[in-house]
Amino acid sequence: MSEFEHDRAQRATLEASGIAMDYGHRRVIERLDLRLPEGKVTAIVGPNGCGKSTLLAGLARLHAPSAGVILLDGEPIYSLAPRDVARRLALLPQEANAPDGLTVLELVQFGRQPHQGWLRQWSEEDQRVLDAAIRAADLVELADRPLESMSGGQRQRAWLAMAIAQTTPLLLLDEPTSALDLGHQIEVFELIRSLSEEGGKTVVMVVHDLVSACRYADHLVAMLDGRIVAEGTPTEVVTPELVRELYGIDCRLVIDPLSNSPILTEIRRCRS
Amino acid sequence: MMQRLGARAGANRRQGPGPGPGGTSRSDLSPRDAWLLRWRGHSLLLPRRSLLGLAWLLLGLMMVFIASLSIGSMPLAPQRVIAALFGSGDPLDIYLVRELRLGRLGAALASGAGFALSGCLLQTLTRNRLAMPDIIGINNGATAFAVASIVALPMSFAPPMLALVGAVTATALTFALAGGVGVRGYRFIIVGVGIGAVFGALTNLMLARTSIDAANAAFPWTVGSLNGSGAGAQTMLWIGLAVCLPLAMASTRGLSSLRFAEPVALGWGVRVARLRLFALALAVICAALAVAVAGPVGMIALIGPELARRLSSHRSVPVLNAALAGAILMALADLLGRTLLAPVEVPVGIVTALVGGPYLIWILLRGDSPRAL
Repeated sequence: MSEFEHDRAQRATLEASGIAMDYGHRRVIERLDLRLPEGKVTAIVGPNGCGKSTLLAGLARLHAPSAGVILLDGEPIYSLAPRDVARRLALLPQEANAPDGLTVLELVQFGRQPHQGWLRQWSEEDQRVLDAAIRAADLVELADRPLESMSGGQRQRAWLAMAIAQTTPLLLLDEPTSALDLGHQIEVFELIRSLSEEGGKTVVMVVHDLVSACRYADHLVAMLDGRIVAEGTPTEVVTPELVRELYGIDCRLVIDPLSNSPILTEIRRCRS
Repeated sequence: MMQRLGARAGANRRQGPGPGPGGTSRSDLSPRDAWLLRWRGHSLLLPRRSLLGLAWLLLGLMMVFIASLSIGSMPLAPQRVIAALFGSGDPLDIYLVRELRLGRLGAALASGAGFALSGCLLQTLTRNRLAMPDIIGINNGATAFAVASIVALPMSFAPPMLALVGAVTATALTFALAGGVGVRGYRFIIVGVGIGAVFGALTNLMLARTSIDAANAAFPWTVGSLNGSGAGAQTMLWIGLAVCLPLAMASTRGLSSLRFAEPVALGWGVRVARLRLFALALAVICAALAVAVAGPVGMIALIGPELARRLSSHRSVPVLNAALAGAILMALADLLGRTLLAPVEVPVGIVTALVGGPYLIWILLRGDSPRAL
């Protein structure tokens, strides 16, 4: 069966319509609408506590909104079977920890879980996808290494390979590069870009660093206090006024001639 | 910080001769250490290590089985035991093996399997290698109810059944007060320890205020013994195992993803909350039925799964191997208890505590992270 070829070629749409989300009794997100551009990398940015991770959890079917609806391919995601969602949407949570001793290969195997069953424990398709995922993340040499013995960047690539092996048209990432140094950040971001450019995936990531978000995302969603305050391509959206509104800093913007994305300079804390 | 260090130490030890950082790489990326069977679009992936472990455990089970039936106040040669099992040979042998020893061995095997299966499930649920029915109050609840029946009533009124009621009561209290199993299970464990302490205190209070005869009669229920196990309780335990073990085995795929952070398992489409509740129910049923047969025997729920993990692939949750390991260990402990100080019999719970205590300390001193499952 070429079920997964189909999955791979297929695009999936994900949109939030008029959602409100609560954390305990606190309202974190208020009447928010978002439609993710297909086949593009979307970055959600904003200061700490602006609700960006909560929004991602809502989109990933982890935390149901208290009002409004999230639609996956036009169907309300919270009334779909979890397994059905897992075949269309892969998630890389922020605190993705694995049992000790688990190797890269074993982790990536788990990514096939939504496609497996009692009498379908390791199909030829599973093997083919696993090969491709490990190669895409450039982990062939490291396949038998336990995760805890690898560098942060390698480990994050292994998690990405797991998500790739899930063969979903949608990929949701919660701060995929937090706690990584610059070199490892770039290693991970470039892999994410290639997943979108070559794999045709729709990627949504919550990113802390605005400059990286501008550099690696096609579409930027800026959030503040549970609302979207700006949305569009990085060059359209990022202005000194927005940066001031989001982070309370003054800065000047320069367009990097090589990447054509905005860079912040002369950063200082807002006086007023 | 401690956990990370522990994890690293574990990783370094495990590396061994495998392909290290600069070592030879294998471009073959098929699952390691597994037999793959494919037939007409169906496929099975059988972890080699777990199956070999299963074979060892079955062999061990057979040896313990024969040994337990042979050794006793009247030793029998293994051939005579086997003949008696199949109903041929000396009528006295048949009576001894089938009527006397087999029942007690059955109680040992079934309760050992029940405790170890329960422990294996609880450890997976709470992601804590030290979780067991003893520390979430199941055992103390069972003891308190069984002792109450002996102490409070002149004729002891079906202690096994009351032990069952006690185990379920303790778990229900723990569950209700902790508000579910929760993400990490810490809360559940702590509430369970509290409930267990209360029931333990009640047991001691009852024993302190009763006559010496009643206290003697209640003694097996405070340490765990296979001496007074009722046939009815044993039948229920076997039925419980026949239901719970296949159900647990059928959920191993889901259970193994519970060892990851919760959002990860949810991302794979696992119904985490439902699976947790289901596994907890299986664990409680097994432990409660086992306590009703053998009393609060400690440590089997800890050592059984630990031994099974040594003999199984670390990818999966070894429920079957854990049950077998528990059965073997319990039968061995009972055998030791019967023979060490013969003709005085040491209750099986004392044997498991004597062996299990040092083992527990050894696990803790080895420096592995207790969350490593």
